[in-house]
Amino acid sequence: MSPEQALATGSALLYRQARLLDERRWQDWLDLFTEDCEYWVPAWLSEQRQTEDPNTQVSLIYYDLRSRLADRVWRVQSGTSVASDPMPRTCHAITNIQVDEAGDDAIRLFAVFRVDYHWRAQSQAYFGHYQHTLRRDGTDWRIARQKISVLNDYIPTLLDFYLV
Amino acid sequence: MNAIHDSALPVPERYLRDDPAAGVFDVHRDVYRDPALFELEMRHVFERHWVFLAHETQLPKPLDYLATWIGRQPVLLHRDDKGKIGAFLNVCPHKGAAVCQSESGNRKFHVCPYHGWTFDARGNCVLVKDRAQGAYPAHFEQADTRLPPLARFGNYRGFLFGSLNPDVPPLEEHLAGISAFLDMIVDQSEHGTEVIPGRSYYTYDANWKMQLENCLDAYHLTSTHPSFINIAASRASGGSSFRNIDIADFVDPAIPSGSYTFANGHGAIWIHTANPEVRPLYRQYDALKARVGQQRADMMLKTINFTVFPNLQFSCNACIQMRVMRPLAVDRTEMRSYCIGPKGEPADQRKLRIHQFEDFFNPTGLATPDDSRVYESVQMGLRARSAPAVGLGHLRGLRQVIQGPDEFAREIGITPLTSSSGRSDVQDETVFHGSYREWARRIKAGLASEVTP
Repeated sequence: MSPEQALATGSALLYRQARLLDERRWQDWLDLFTEDCEYWVPAWLSEQRQTEDPNTQVSLIYYDLRSRLADRVWRVQSGTSVASDPMPRTCHAITNIQVDEAGDDAIRLFAVFRVDYHWRAQSQAYFGHYQHTLRRDGTDWRIARQKISVLNDYIPTLLDFYLV
Repeated sequence: MNAIHDSALPVPERYLRDDPAAGVFDVHRDVYRDPALFELEMRHVFERHWVFLAHETQLPKPLDYLATWIGRQPVLLHRDDKGKIGAFLNVCPHKGAAVCQSESGNRKFHVCPYHGWTFDARGNCVLVKDRAQGAYPAHFEQADTRLPPLARFGNYRGFLFGSLNPDVPPLEEHLAGISAFLDMIVDQSEHGTEVIPGRSYYTYDANWKMQLENCLDAYHLTSTHPSFINIAASRASGGSSFRNIDIADFVDPAIPSGSYTFANGHGAIWIHTANPEVRPLYRQYDALKARVGQQRADMMLKTINFTVFPNLQFSCNACIQMRVMRPLAVDRTEMRSYCIGPKGEPADQRKLRIHQFEDFFNPTGLATPDDSRVYESVQMGLRARSAPAVGLGHLRGLRQVIQGPDEFAREIGITPLTSSSGRSDVQDETVFHGSYREWARRIKAGLASEVTP
C-alpha cells in the first residue's frame, strides 16, 4: 500500500471514529475495534514522562479486549451513572495525521486531537496525541491498537473514552 | 430556636452541635460553603498540625525529589546522596521564588530560577551568586540562607508526614489508633508497600470534606454506584475472566461490618468481603496467615477504608487506593490518586491489581467519577441557603454507636474511641463524627492561640 493510500484509509477511519463518538453511536464505534484491541490511555509519572508498561505501571485507562470497552459503553447508556447524566456534548477535532507505517495489512498512524466538551454551563477541552495501529479485516480496516496520550492530564473531575 | 449558627456563639460551636446522649450531631451547612471558615481550616486544621506529605517510595533513589503541600504552603522533599529525606518549604530565602519548579525528578541541586542561589538536598545554600562582590552588611553574612526546614518531619513505616508547627505531639502519638490500619497495608508483604508508578491528579468543584466523608460512607454505594454494581454482576454471571469487588455484596445484612473513630480525627470502616478470591492478596493467603496470624490476614482481606486526618485516605477493596486531598478553595479540591501494592508481588498479581485499580478508581474509573460528580451536586444543592441550615446527613447509626472498642476491635487489638458494628445495612454515619470533633478542636485551639493578650 502506498503512503498516500494509507493516509487516505487511516484518515477516513479516524474521522469516522470522531464522528461516531460525537454522535453517540456507541455500537458503531465499538465495531471499529478488533476483538483483541488494545485501548490505552497512559498516566504520567511526572510532568515529562508518561507510563510505558500497562502491566507494571498504572494507566488512566487500559484494556486489551473490546469486551471491556463495552462495559464503559454500557455504563454511559445505562442511565445509572451520575457521571454521564447529562452526557457532555463533545466535538472531536483530529489533525496532523501522519503515516508511520503503510503495510498491506497494517497501518500505523500518528495524529493530534482536541476534544472540546460542554457540561452544565462549562466548556472545557482535552488534547493530546493519538497513535493508532489499524488492521485489515477483509475489505474493512479496524483499530487494533489505540494509544491516547492526554497532555493536559490535570483532570477536571473526570475523563472517559468519549472525552478523548 | 436553633442555637447552631447563632453568631453570639464562638467558632466552631456555631457550626457544630454535638450531644451524643441526646442523639444530636448537627453540622451546619456553612462548613461546606463559607469561605471565611475555609481560611480557618487551612490555618488551623492543616497548617498547624501533622499533614501527610508522600510515601517514601515516591522518591526511591538518592537525589530524588518531590514537591507537595501543607495546606496552602509549598513543600519540597529531597532525598540526599546518603538516602536521607529532607523536608523544606519550597521558597528561596532571597526573593521568595519557589526553588523547585517541577513536581518530581532527580537532581543534586535546586537552583533558584531568579538569582541563581543554589541549594543541596540537605537544604543548605551552597551558592549565593556573586556573594563576594555583593557589599553585604554584616548581618547578611550571619543570616540563615538555608531552605526553611519543616518544623517537624516524620516517617511512619514509609509514610512521610510534616508539620509547620513545632508544637505538635510526636507522630506516633498523632497517628495513635489508626497506625494499626497503616500496619495492615505495610504488612501485606514482608518487604513493605510501595506506590506503583503512574499517578493521576484531578480536581472536583466541591468542598474537601465531601471526600473526607465519602471515603467512610457505605450508605452511598448502592445509589451512587449502581452502574459499577451491575457491571460487576454481569462479569460474574457472564464468566468474564476479569473480576473486581462486587459492592452489591456489601449491603447484604448478613455480612458483618463495623466502623471506628479514633483520637485526632482518624476513622475507619470495614466490611467483610464476600468474594475475597478476586483479590491479588488472596493468592498469598497461606503465607500471609503464617507470617501475620489468621486474624490479621483475614482483616487484610476485608474491605477497609480509612482516613488519616486530615488529608490521607485509603480505600482497600480488591486493590488499594491511596488518596491525598488538597483543598484549593471552599468549593474546589485537588485529589492525588495512587495505587499502592505489596513490594515483591508476583507479576500476574501486580497486573491484576493495577487493572482492578484502573477499573474502579481514578478520575477515569467506573466508580470514582460518579462520586466526584455527586460532590459537585451537593455543592450546587448547598447554594439553597433558604433551605434548613442543618443537614440530616450525620445521624445514621447514632443509636448503635458505643464508647470504646467493640468485640471485633478487641479481637484485632485496636483501641477506637467509638465503635459501631453489626448489620452492614446500618451504613453508619457516626464514623464522620470523630473527624468533625478534631476539626472543631483544632479550629478552637488555633483561634485561642491567635488571641493577643
